[in-house]
Amino acid sequence: MTASVGIIANPASGKDIRRLVAQGSVFDNNEKINIVQRVMRALEALGIRQVLAMPDAFNLIAQAQEKAGVGLHVDWLDMRPTNTTRDSIEAAQLMATAGVDCIVTLGGDGTNRAVAKGCGYVPLVPISTGTNNAFPEMIEGTLAGLAAAAVALKVDGVRQTAIRLARRLDIVRDGEVIDFALVDVVVYDELFVASRAIWDIDKIQTVVLSQVVPGTIGASAIAGYLPNIPNNKQGVWLEIGPQGQPVLAPIAPGVVAPIPIEALHWLAVGEQRTVMHAPAVLALDGEREVPIKSGELIQVRLSQNGPHVVNVRAALQAAGQAGLFVSLNGKGGGQKPDL
Amino acid sequence: MADRLLTTSKAIAEAIAQEMERDENVFVMGEDIGAYGGIFGATEGLLTKFGPERVMDTPISEMGFIGTAVGAATEGMRPIAELMFIDFMGAGMDQIYNQMAKIHYMSGGNTKVPMVLMTAIGGSYSDAAQHSQCLYGLFAHTPGIKVVIPSSPYDAKGLMTQAIRDDSPVMFFFHKGGQGLGWMTPNPRATGHVPEEPYTIPFGQADIKREGSDLTILTVSLMVHRSLDAAEKLAEEGINAEVVDLRTLVPLDRETIVNSVKKTHRVLIVDEDYKSYGMSGELVAIVAEDALDYLDAPPKRLAVPDVPIPYSRPMEQYISPNADKIAAAARELVAG
Amino acid sequence: MALSQEALLDLYRMLVRIRTFEERVGEMYYEEKLPAFDIAAGPIPGEMHLYSGQEAVAAGVCAHLRPDDPVTSTHRPHGHLIAKGVDLKKIMAEIFGKKTGLCQGKGGHMHLFDPDLHFGCGGIIGGGIPHAVGAALAIKKRGQDRVAVSFFGDGAANIGAFHESVNLAALWKLPVVFVVEDNLYAISVPKAASTAVRSNAERGAAYGIPGVQVDGQDAVAVYEAAKEAVDRARRGEGPSLIEGLCYRYRGHFEGDAEGYLKEGEKASWKEKDPITILGNQLKEQGWLTDSDAEAIQAEMTSLVGEAETFARESAYPAPEEALEHVFA
Repeated sequence: MTASVGIIANPASGKDIRRLVAQGSVFDNNEKINIVQRVMRALEALGIRQVLAMPDAFNLIAQAQEKAGVGLHVDWLDMRPTNTTRDSIEAAQLMATAGVDCIVTLGGDGTNRAVAKGCGYVPLVPISTGTNNAFPEMIEGTLAGLAAAAVALKVDGVRQTAIRLARRLDIVRDGEVIDFALVDVVVYDELFVASRAIWDIDKIQTVVLSQVVPGTIGASAIAGYLPNIPNNKQGVWLEIGPQGQPVLAPIAPGVVAPIPIEALHWLAVGEQRTVMHAPAVLALDGEREVPIKSGELIQVRLSQNGPHVVNVRAALQAAGQAGLFVSLNGKGGGQKPDL
Repeated sequence: MADRLLTTSKAIAEAIAQEMERDENVFVMGEDIGAYGGIFGATEGLLTKFGPERVMDTPISEMGFIGTAVGAATEGMRPIAELMFIDFMGAGMDQIYNQMAKIHYMSGGNTKVPMVLMTAIGGSYSDAAQHSQCLYGLFAHTPGIKVVIPSSPYDAKGLMTQAIRDDSPVMFFFHKGGQGLGWMTPNPRATGHVPEEPYTIPFGQADIKREGSDLTILTVSLMVHRSLDAAEKLAEEGINAEVVDLRTLVPLDRETIVNSVKKTHRVLIVDEDYKSYGMSGELVAIVAEDALDYLDAPPKRLAVPDVPIPYSRPMEQYISPNADKIAAAARELVAG
Repeated sequence: MALSQEALLDLYRMLVRIRTFEERVGEMYYEEKLPAFDIAAGPIPGEMHLYSGQEAVAAGVCAHLRPDDPVTSTHRPHGHLIAKGVDLKKIMAEIFGKKTGLCQGKGGHMHLFDPDLHFGCGGIIGGGIPHAVGAALAIKKRGQDRVAVSFFGDGAANIGAFHESVNLAALWKLPVVFVVEDNLYAISVPKAASTAVRSNAERGAAYGIPGVQVDGQDAVAVYEAAKEAVDRARRGEGPSLIEGLCYRYRGHFEGDAEGYLKEGEKASWKEKDPITILGNQLKEQGWLTDSDAEAIQAEMTSLVGEAETFARESAYPAPEEALEHVFA
């Protein structure tokens, strides 16, 4: 079957309330078009001819294709965009069913979470363009495209060395997984989903993280800068409260705040704990999603249920080693630079 | 009191400065009114004296800053906004015409707009169609705007002080050729005696700049100067022209107009605005309504014809009223 | 701590108050105008632009405003007037053109001014946006922590006055919040056919100010966003832009045949009715029962009824009053 790559790009809707309280930048739609352009040129350079694209109201991908002037064949998913996160879920499902080899996403944690709900086993190359960006990488579009092509072409060694199964936080109610977050779950002292974003530090009661690495912004940053992180634990559960020990964390762009940690529990994969605050709202990857009613018991479990994520640098290294970049013998692939 | 000679532009700037000292709610905004002192000198020295908080240079956003002045005025401030050339009114016309002029009325009097919109008018120096207009007729035609047009430094200061203190919106039209600017054609009438202390001139009071008995010349702005020049020439010929400087079109001093016509029985209107549907027609109507029986000849109008103002000097001179044309018209009026 | 029961119930009551007022005006508007529609006839002559459906935006924003915070509004002003706290009787009497109206009958439905509550509105698209900037300028000059709010629509976001105003407010860092009520249409022209960008919230970036988009049918979402924007302004951090996605139930004006609507569009928006949404949220928390809701509705019906009676029974101004109030 022909190698094919899917592209899911979420147009900026400006829904982020955090812009009013933090110094977040606006990754505007024109910048996204530029990134997709670069992805497409990279795909074409390595011989990918089939691209499956999610339609959106801003026509990001169509505009990118026009600007890139590439010879790729773009197939549009048969779906009507609702301009909500549902689009990304549906797009990922359709792409998985169609058998794409790799999906490139443009968005933040929220977009990738939605894609993860639909992509099944298809590996993702997540390019960071949102506000909460612990999951996707700040990676340049051309390189992302090359890595996606390397995966789609099933180049030797790429799958083995460069694709990992991501961890996530499953939300469990009555023994059933009702939702999940890729990076962080925050128990927020509010009753309603409302404007979705979370930004009031005083309302944060619990933070659960699927990764404890420094170098991220957002709730996930809270534990990444702690001393003495144990080796065998991948996640952490933090109770936040006024009696706690303050830890400085870059909790939003331009905002470094002291977060008082009252209790800390390291989590190994498979471990779960029960949320002790109700009523409240669970924010998943920075967006309020799940209201918890009074008396309701919800657990959060650290799992390794995916999705599959491509490490771009590792993929390029493996592909280079395998000779992908010298195998084309001058036939097809690559564009004459028009500098 | 020492005899002080000020140019019109300095008189205006002094009026504004004295009011800004007296009332902290007064502030100035407009394009190049800060460090530059206003393209036509109306705000010279104000920035140094009062600082950028009260003397605000704006971006090129007439709708924006005129509307901002309206909003600030409704909150009790007394802004003076400068519209650099009256020709630019289109860029902010809604805020002038529909907002500034009408809010007091539409609110049933519960909301005041005590602002001044000052602006430069007039041509005769080859600035062509989009930079030479007068247009006061357009605004006098709009209910809700007081229209003030000084012709001398003394009048400019008194009328500006009155304008700032007035609780209604006032448009203040100063003539570029009458400001006494060093880079315009020299104009001796652009300099005059101006008292140092603050004073006001009530609106609706015309000023007879030259008394006469043979004809009445009704006019405003730079045409007052040209009419006076013409009157001097006519006096040598034994024709005594009364030159009435209307000073304000809204409110208009009908009484002085009518009394003058009753005295002289002949009226010549000199208007630098376009002839049709403007000030000159309005004055003819008033004379016809209130003084018809006193006229010995039909009213005469000398105005800019209904053409956009041309660039080339011979053409611009052709369409502009000047002292010679005024004198000629007066002679015809008196002879006929 | 979470939004309080009191704040949410106040919000709910305001939604019902606005809806009840607008629907009643919508009924009375047609008195004596039919069978063949004559716009000049009846106790409420002229145009009428009602706010039904958009209540969450006015209520969610104005919940954070003090009496002396200035508000400018549009040709569709009743929701903002009511949310700002203007006396229903005076609004109604003005709509009826009576002497006891807010503007003594001089302004009517589109031009209402209440200086005590610092409220103004007008019928020129974008006309009021610079006024909010001017009010904010006055506030800043006086060193106060008041905030000015300008309400306008998706159509107005394309007019020059909007762009000039946002630039000025950003340039001078003024305490003003620009609220774009995107109800999808400027009369009959859909936003997609008038606006080069997908969301007006993005336009904030063009002027260096934060812009956010919220679900305008969700009063709590609007409340949250407005709180942040208003607090930002009060702290002296400058202007913000909020775009609320909402929908007008009654077309652009009363009598609008709405032939330009997509089939099923209005019905699907009505499923997201702001009163229903907030009501359900309150009921889930146990803060509102069905009988509470009925009681609130009855209260508002009665209030609006009083305003109606007052308006009908008031006298018209004397005809000669037309010549008054030209100048101060």
